[in-house]
Amino acid sequence: MTSNRKKRYDCGDIENLYQQYLDNELNEEQKKLFEEHLEYCLPCDKKISFEMKLKEYIHSQALKIKDSETPKFKVENIISGSS
Amino acid sequence: MATLEQQRFSGMIEPHLSSMYSTALRMTHNPQDAEDLVQETLFKAYRALEQFKEGTNFRAWVFRILVNTFITAYRKAIKQPQKVSYDDMEEFFLYKRLDNTTSLQEMSKEDFLDNFFEDDIKNALESLPYHFRLVVLLSDVEGFSYNEIANIIDAPLGTVMSRLHRGRKLLQRQLWNYAKTRGYVTDDVQ
Repeated sequence: MTSNRKKRYDCGDIENLYQQYLDNELNEEQKKLFEEHLEYCLPCDKKISFEMKLKEYIHSQALKIKDSETPKFKVENIISGSS
Repeated sequence: MATLEQQRFSGMIEPHLSSMYSTALRMTHNPQDAEDLVQETLFKAYRALEQFKEGTNFRAWVFRILVNTFITAYRKAIKQPQKVSYDDMEEFFLYKRLDNTTSLQEMSKEDFLDNFFEDDIKNALESLPYHFRLVVLLSDVEGFSYNEIANIIDAPLGTVMSRLHRGRKLLQRQLWNYAKTRGYVTDDVQ
């Protein structure tokens, strides 16, 4: 995989690491190198922006469905059989 | 009358019920089964409460019980071989398809996403094979970290990452299929 000692990331590094970048799982040094690459590489920058928007979109759309459909759970009734 | 311990548990679990039910529904595809799964999880979690270490992540602890309860109940269904083709699964799948679509030239790729309805996202998520669906839900919808997911599904970190990666690619392919069948893109595209 990618060495942390590398001075710069190339497009291949971006492809290998972008999932972790989107999930905020890179360490500070990796994140810095990743973002430095995006600053000077427009094709990668556009791809990552799209992936980021897609991730946010899936999150927000999935959450919208959530509250409207949750039944009312009577927690104390459900667990009382175990007391 | 609820005991103090029951009231305390109730207070701890209330904020997570909606997430638990939503995940259960995406996993079981059925409201009644999802409700049963959450109820069983509540029952088990309360009985196991003394094993929960104060100060650690209660939400991840409860999701671990939810996932284990699901796996136990659906063991047979889960063990069915899942036929998944990765033939056209390159990185940035959806982005690259949109980039090659002439009927979208006037629209930004980000704006294109607004064409999808809640139901498209929901159906795409539910179409994923079980192992991939679970990690995508836990990461993209519930916001758990890789370490938390590894703990919830009891798998190594590398497995979490590869399932998440593949699951997202499958999700993108499914969204692309919807875009084509719903006529969001009108080119003669693959």
